Amino acid sequence: MDAVNEITIGMADLKVGKAPQVLSTILGSCIGLCLYSPRHQTGGLLHLMMPFAGESVHQLNYKKAKYADTGVAELIHVLKKTCGVATPEIVAKMFGGAKVLKNVERNIGGENAEVVRSLLKEHGIVLKAVKVGGENGYRIKFHLDTGKVTCQIFGGQPEEF
Amino acid sequence: MAKRIMTVDDASIIRLMIKDILVECGGYDVIAECSSGREAVDKYKELRPDLVTMDIVMPEMDGIQALEEILKFDPDAKVVMVTAIDQRESLMKAIRLGATDYIVKPFEADRVMAAVQKAFGVA
Amino acid sequence: MEAKKVHRALQLVASLSIDKASQVFSKMIKVGAKIELEKVYVADISRATEELMVTDDFDVIGAFVDLVGDMPFKFLFYVAADDSLALTDLILHREPGVTKKFDLYVSSTVQELGNVLASAVTNVFASDFQIQMKPTPPQVVHDFASTVFGEYIMEAAADQNEILMIESMFKVVRMDIKCRMFLLPKGDTQKTLSGIIGAA
Repeated sequence: MDAVNEITIGMADLKVGKAPQVLSTILGSCIGLCLYSPRHQTGGLLHLMMPFAGESVHQLNYKKAKYADTGVAELIHVLKKTCGVATPEIVAKMFGGAKVLKNVERNIGGENAEVVRSLLKEHGIVLKAVKVGGENGYRIKFHLDTGKVTCQIFGGQPEEF
Repeated sequence: MAKRIMTVDDASIIRLMIKDILVECGGYDVIAECSSGREAVDKYKELRPDLVTMDIVMPEMDGIQALEEILKFDPDAKVVMVTAIDQRESLMKAIRLGATDYIVKPFEADRVMAAVQKAFGVA
Repeated sequence: MEAKKVHRALQLVASLSIDKASQVFSKMIKVGAKIELEKVYVADISRATEELMVTDDFDVIGAFVDLVGDMPFKFLFYVAADDSLALTDLILHREPGVTKKFDLYVSSTVQELGNVLASAVTNVFASDFQIQMKPTPPQVVHDFASTVFGEYIMEAAADQNEILMIESMFKVVRMDIKCRMFLLPKGDTQKTLSGIIGAA
């Protein structure tokens, strides 16, 4: 893959792009949500950290992409505004949510995944592929020419979704 | 007869380093290796080694508690504490409780041997 | 003004801790280690992680330690997984290349380096600033560098979008081994530190 076509997304961030670009990120307990419109060959990747924004919406420099509830809505909004993608055209794929640190009691990854599922349902977006959980990190590459996502869980081979 | 040693550290690399030093020197057998204080107390009661090298910061039960338990069971136990540089307070506690000596990590082979030989009264 | 004071205080702490850690690191591996990087900075969580995904796109062995006590910090030490094999050889005084695969001793080497380096840091706090802290037993994780770093900053990043970090990189002399060490103040640590240093 041509490196100039690859766009990296950090934690609590989202980016959108068009074919032939590739959106990539590396996850632990965070969730990588890929939304794609096959007709536009356009998609966005959200790297969210936590389920709900709560009081954080009042913070200065508040990052919508940090939280599932505000991040999913924002990604849908950006896809519509910048690329003209309507919500019914969108399909979703979700990755990550691992429990990497054994001494951390809260399974934030699992909570994130559950919240994203229900939010997508509320928006009427079909979740076409899910690979979440486990104890290892995820490297994902979202190919906007096909909508396919290459997912490599640490220690394993890359798989296509 | 070779002295019977038990090494206690949650890092296997430290146990291996101490074992290598003792084997190289000769006259010592490492008869058991433990990775937690709890395991060390149980093994001590079972094997009654001649000397224990004991790390301080460990999961489950730390080295200070393990030292206390071992000395309660055997007041004559020889326990050499192995500690990283900052744990002065814990070290003082260990010495007050009855630890024989201490080694500071990172350590040199000479320092390990000096502590072990001193514990056995070798000049 | 307050932020400047905290920054200055952290720079002082960083410099002393990193110097001490580098000495201890050299002693542990019996080879000189050069400090290639030493910085205190405020990082946006998205930019910092995005950058790391590009610069450190490899797997690492990381040791997570919580420094608990008067001024809690989170500590992380990591080294590229391939380089951890060479570090194991150095610590065990073996010829370079003897350790060929990732095993218990390799993981334990990083665990112990994490423990000793974290202790070197707490030693500086105790001796130079009379601040008492203790390291918890290190938790070792083998994963992508970005996954390890992401989990490390997760707790701080949950509350803040910008985090104050102390970062350093050691390079083992004559060998191409680079290790990174991070310190992240927790909770009221910044305030406490500024009070102590400011009063000194």
